[in-house]
Amino acid sequence: MAQDSEWEPKLVGFLCRWCSYAGADLAGTSRKKYPANIGIIKVPCSGRVDPLFILKALRLGFDGVLVSGCHPGECHYQTGNYRARRKIALTKKFLEYMGIDPRRLQASWISASEGGKFTEVTTQVTKELKEAGPNELFADDK
Amino acid sequence: MTNREAEQRLRDEAKSLLESAKVDYIVGFADGSLKFHTTPLITRNKDDVDHLVINPFMASNLAKFLTELEGRVGIVAKGCDSRSIVSLVQDNKVSREKVVIVGIPCRGMINLSKIEQLAGKESDEIDDITRQGDKVVVKLDGSEKEIPVKEVLFDHCLACELPTPKEYDLLIDEPIPATPDEEASQAKINKLEELSHHERWRFWQNEFSRCIRCYACRNVCPACYCQRCFVEEAEPQWILSIPKWQDNLIFQIIRNIHLAGRCTDCGECERACPVNIPLRSLSKEMYDLVGELFGFKSGMEIDAAPLLTHYELEEAEDFFR
Amino acid sequence: MNQKISKKDISKLLDELGKEFKVFSPSRESGVTTFAEWDGRDSSFLEWYRNTVISPKAQLQPLYEKMFSFHKDKEGYHLELPPPTDKKLIFGIRPCDAKALTIIDKTFQDTYQDPYYLDKRKNTLLVGLGCTNPYDSCFCTSLGLSPTQSSDVDLMLTDIGDEFLIEAVTDRGMKLIKKTSYLKEVTKTDEAKAEEARRQASSKVTRRLDTKDLAKRLLSSFDDQDFWEKVSNKCISCGICTLLCPTCYCFDISDELVKKEGSRFRSGDSCAFPVYTKMPMENPRLEKWRRVRQKVCHKYEFYPMSFEVIACSGCGRCIRLCPVNWDITQILASLPVKVKA
Repeated sequence: MAQDSEWEPKLVGFLCRWCSYAGADLAGTSRKKYPANIGIIKVPCSGRVDPLFILKALRLGFDGVLVSGCHPGECHYQTGNYRARRKIALTKKFLEYMGIDPRRLQASWISASEGGKFTEVTTQVTKELKEAGPNELFADDK
Repeated sequence: MTNREAEQRLRDEAKSLLESAKVDYIVGFADGSLKFHTTPLITRNKDDVDHLVINPFMASNLAKFLTELEGRVGIVAKGCDSRSIVSLVQDNKVSREKVVIVGIPCRGMINLSKIEQLAGKESDEIDDITRQGDKVVVKLDGSEKEIPVKEVLFDHCLACELPTPKEYDLLIDEPIPATPDEEASQAKINKLEELSHHERWRFWQNEFSRCIRCYACRNVCPACYCQRCFVEEAEPQWILSIPKWQDNLIFQIIRNIHLAGRCTDCGECERACPVNIPLRSLSKEMYDLVGELFGFKSGMEIDAAPLLTHYELEEAEDFFR
Repeated sequence: MNQKISKKDISKLLDELGKEFKVFSPSRESGVTTFAEWDGRDSSFLEWYRNTVISPKAQLQPLYEKMFSFHKDKEGYHLELPPPTDKKLIFGIRPCDAKALTIIDKTFQDTYQDPYYLDKRKNTLLVGLGCTNPYDSCFCTSLGLSPTQSSDVDLMLTDIGDEFLIEAVTDRGMKLIKKTSYLKEVTKTDEAKAEEARRQASSKVTRRLDTKDLAKRLLSSFDDQDFWEKVSNKCISCGICTLLCPTCYCFDISDELVKKEGSRFRSGDSCAFPVYTKMPMENPRLEKWRRVRQKVCHKYEFYPMSFEVIACSGCGRCIRLCPVNWDITQILASLPVKVKA
């Protein structure tokens, strides 16, 4: 896809407040560098992330969505992330079937102590979105 | 049992259910006002049950009405309908004790659009359509044409895994074994899977630019029982209420995700669509994904926990970093 | 004097008309029949066209249309109105659908002159095409219509074999005939053929609706909740019968806002939806039977009270497109109250 080399993807991150959000916080306080491409929305639990949020973000023109929560077995609410896992897996596969580049929906488990992992994940996701190019899924061309 | 005998038995059973006050309503099929159509018959009156029919045009999924009716309901159910009923029981939308399932073993329903296409005439111009074993005989302008039944059944019927209800209180006629032809049923979907991401998205964009947002797909669906659908939320307004293709597409994507583990592949959404959008190519994909990823088949086991309320400790990990 | 045109010349005629008008003719796209802009494709619709799923009402009141756009910048708010209306010509409209437009005209120019509809209406010529093969769901003759004749079009075409007989119904139609090529004078035989075609077509419309005292019968059945519950119980409250009805005109208005710009749209709405009229407060018709009753009574009781015409032209779309075969003619025939003569 032809694109401006200056172009930077925009990414929404839905981070659970107990683990991944704290992980992002830790990355910041430990002065780790992570891409400014991500805009973070704090959610109570990864289980809170409705697939509708993901579609709405893509409809609004964001290039990708990252959903992140506590590692399996470590959910503050015991089972929220297990439920999220089913929902996100189905959404990801289904969106791919519809014709949405699978790189646009990403998911990870990041604990409160994994500031480094947060940095790595956001860097990697940003790189993949850059390769995927701008989100023109909902552009009116007809 | 001949079809006529089966029909008579159904009427007798329905009458005795009403007379013995075991049910308040009978829900079944009656002949429609158009040729080769049936129409739902929902009645409390025992005299009406003489209109009940069994024929290859009972396409509707009557489980839809269970969430609307108050009281005990005797419902005529093909295999797929029974799965929808089971799914509603699992979701606590319908109480099993309040439903008397009158099972009808089903050999597949005839898709009138397929007949129309093969005959080159619309259904009201066709004189007669009869099923004779593995053939369908179409009478048109004085001549007869034989068509293999597989060419005119609904796609979802071709893949049917449960022709005879597993969960029932009464079974009219002998059970019919399942003979799914997954490949034939999957033809449209396989074609789509050959396309690139971009081409597939274009395909759906094009299909959904015809959508008029009549919501027939949602409203015929027994699994779409939400009191208030997300499309009608005004605060926040998730999608526009006007039929722009972008919003039509989001409506349908989310609808299918909501139906994961509830959709029984009854094909009603596609049949109801007035503008011919291949909606089953979406719902069947989700149905298959649910099977592939979690080994779940909606409405098969009445004791199974609903898909999205349940989990295994280790599954679907490869989607997560 | 009437004219005629050979069926072979229809494509050329539409090409010629296309120079002056945006011409719409029956078209089948992805298996759905609709009126689409004439693009020089072949005139094979003459072979299959009975009536379209999407009625030509959509050319005058689209499924959705932009009313205006707006944006905000340093200087303040700015409004942009839609471009001026094109001159349109609808070729092949059936008498029922043409009558439907005459019916809804009354609403759009009653106390309020609706510019969106009326501008398009004034700039649209209707060329009617008589039915030769009505559906078994059609019942136009019960509403005083003929499947082959119409006073609601500008020109009316009747199939007489290899040709169409053309009558000018209005002055606009007459003017159009005068400047159109490919027309020939008709003979007495042609007139006789047309007469026969009209007679035959009328006899093919077999579905009946007894409209005698219909409004009165509905009025006296209005409170019969048992009746309305019974006839509505299989309705699934979808919008097919209303959104695709050529005499249904309800619309909803909504805004699309993105940052500092946006558009206001209006789009078809349906009294079958539980959320209908939700915006001022609540829908007073939360139960399904009330919504079904509203739909029926609006067409056959309230509309005739206001405008002296039944808001139905018998096109039969609501019957043939309904997923559960809900049939309005059966409902009306089963009204419990008979009015004494």
